[in-house]
Amino acid sequence: MVLSLVFFSFSFGFYILAALFYFGNWTLKKKWLGQLATSISYVALFSTTMILIMRAGESGHAPFSNLYESMVLFVWGINLGYLILEYRHKFKAIGAFVMSLAFLAMLSASLLPYRFKSVEPLNPALQNKWHWLVDLLSKVGLEKYAIGWLDFHVFTTFVGYSAFAISFGISIMYLIKNRSEARGGKGGLLAAFPDSKMLDELGYRTIAWGFPFLAIGIVSGAVWANYAWGTYWSWDPKETWSLITWFIYAAYLHARVTRGWRGKKAAYLSIAGFLAILFLYWGVSFVLPGLHAYA
Amino acid sequence: MSIKTGAGAKTPPPFYKRVGRKVWLFFNSLKLTLAVMLTLAFAAGFGTVIEQGLRPAEYIRAFGPKWTSVIYYTQVNDLYHAWWFTALLALLCLNIIVCTFERFPPKWKALLNQKPSGKFNARIISNCSHNNTIILATELDKAREKVLAVFKKKKYKTQLTTASDGHYIYAWRGTLGRFGSDIVHISLLLILLGSILGGFYGYKDNKIVYEGDTMTVPEAPFQVKLNKFWIDFYDTGQIRQYNSLLSVMENGKEVLKKQIWVNEPLYYKGIRFYQSSYGSAWDRIKRADIGLLKKDSKRIKTTVSVDWGKTVPLKGTPYSIKLMGFAADFAYDNATKTVFSQSAETKNPAVHIEIYKGKEMISNPWLFLNYPGIFPAIPDSEDDLVFAGFTGIMYSGISLNKDPGTNVVWLGALVMGLGFFLAFFITHKRLWIYIKSEGNSSEIKIGGFINKNQFALEKELKDIVHRIESD
Repeated sequence: MVLSLVFFSFSFGFYILAALFYFGNWTLKKKWLGQLATSISYVALFSTTMILIMRAGESGHAPFSNLYESMVLFVWGINLGYLILEYRHKFKAIGAFVMSLAFLAMLSASLLPYRFKSVEPLNPALQNKWHWLVDLLSKVGLEKYAIGWLDFHVFTTFVGYSAFAISFGISIMYLIKNRSEARGGKGGLLAAFPDSKMLDELGYRTIAWGFPFLAIGIVSGAVWANYAWGTYWSWDPKETWSLITWFIYAAYLHARVTRGWRGKKAAYLSIAGFLAILFLYWGVSFVLPGLHAYA
Repeated sequence: MSIKTGAGAKTPPPFYKRVGRKVWLFFNSLKLTLAVMLTLAFAAGFGTVIEQGLRPAEYIRAFGPKWTSVIYYTQVNDLYHAWWFTALLALLCLNIIVCTFERFPPKWKALLNQKPSGKFNARIISNCSHNNTIILATELDKAREKVLAVFKKKKYKTQLTTASDGHYIYAWRGTLGRFGSDIVHISLLLILLGSILGGFYGYKDNKIVYEGDTMTVPEAPFQVKLNKFWIDFYDTGQIRQYNSLLSVMENGKEVLKKQIWVNEPLYYKGIRFYQSSYGSAWDRIKRADIGLLKKDSKRIKTTVSVDWGKTVPLKGTPYSIKLMGFAADFAYDNATKTVFSQSAETKNPAVHIEIYKGKEMISNPWLFLNYPGIFPAIPDSEDDLVFAGFTGIMYSGISLNKDPGTNVVWLGALVMGLGFFLAFFITHKRLWIYIKSEGNSSEIKIGGFINKNQFALEKELKDIVHRIESD
């Protein structure tokens, strides 16, 4: 219990600092602030990884079984995804938006009531390990580290969520930048943004990462449900909303094929998609009862 | 004079062909895809707002009679199985099928049997969004070898055409990436096909089996016996797992024994058996403890354990007792004069016994655990019998599922993974290179197209240029 909380507190601090320094780097245009922000993000990534590892140690299972743990996984995904993006494309202005999202996610995780946070043993419906993996690992005595459908399903889904969160930040930046470009604005704070065409492409790229992961998350959930309970799909609210978000992003990807749906319309669709994700993730858990009520 | 009236005017295609063409075009349109997907998203979301599968009275309470009739008319109470929702899903499928038929075969032909036209117009290069020009201080043929070597190292396929004015090279890789989207579409159809197969040729069933009992399995040449049901707990007292120990019986012989739990079904000859519920029986028990006492005393002199359906003599007395029935929550229906259990909980447990004196049955009373002695068990006797305790029987709720489509769904899931990988992570890159002689050196022009991910191409070109320039 203790160590994961220590790492959580540290990570929380790191995310505040990272978001602040990215903002500072963007508004004050100081290079050292940007470098500091990036280094802190790496430290935050390490610290978040440690929360997950400690949590796994404390509960004896992969840390994917309640809302709090999944929030940490979500933040971890956002951080990792953002750092990859920054490493590849070197746009630190995006960090101001995306790391603020990570910070907000940390904040909401810390504000969760205790019953969503406590370390719980897995309930019967969640206990699943892949036999072939258990058999394989038992040869070297590591069978307790075997994973199963729960881990695969949650992990792929949350990689998807994280990618969509990043694309949400980028889409908002796109709308801001696009408006200023349309007005002929050049300088000021928005000069540090990538140009709108780049933002559009980056938004697409992140969704192109998130979409297959969400799809595989949904399909693995269905396959698992059939294996564990004998039905693929029962229109439980979580399932339904996952399908809704999947349709929205599928529409986004298909719409890009026709030219008119790049840019602004695409950005709006991406924002709509992420709002649906938020509802899928939090709304369904709190408002609509169902099989997934625990996460 | 109008040209249209000329004798050479084409006769319009027959009516059915025109309509067919229009229908085909309708299903082939991307607009339809978008419209259907967004409508489905909206409708499905609506279904989570209006609670599904309530009774009419509950809808009337929530929405009033007028809206309730609207709800029933539009089948919003069972939205996901409403005809119009199913029709939307079918429309999406038709859309996918038509689009795949329309796009896949020509793409296949064009991409896999491609025969680049040899010498191309060098202006194609400057039209590319990404292009570079390199001057290499070597003669023409060496420059060509160098370029080809770089592309070979980068696993490109190349085609060289040599003309009088220089070398024309066409290089490409990642063609398969273009099929990713088609493969994903096919995988969706496979998954759907699998679930439809399951719906048509399989079945689902729920059975309740008592410990020690055997259940029949529909459409199968075997039975399944429940040996035992039990619950595992964590140290904290929370439930860890529900378990059933099952035996598969063929011709009265056990052929397989397996412990199942939630997430671990038994699979035998195409049928899966899932742990789905449990409980203790409300109409039977394993054994009852019956005590003998004098009517005026409270002290039980002897007790005897009687197994279900068995007759056991009560030692030291002329009586023997047969255990006939049990009700967990005793109730008596006056109209039919029958006993039943009004709930599954053991609120008012009672046993039905037959009491024999020698061969003759002298009484068959119900005895109550909570109310010993309220009705005398044996009429006209000093002796009385009481219900002193019992050992219950657990039952296990087993779901049966025969689903011949499972493997098809599995295949679909795998194909989907492959399709996504090709679609999003393999990009189709096409490069055109023109090398010509410029005095003692060679000028190399490279331009390229990529189907998605412009950054990747930019990076790739940089790398290629770097490799060509370095030694």
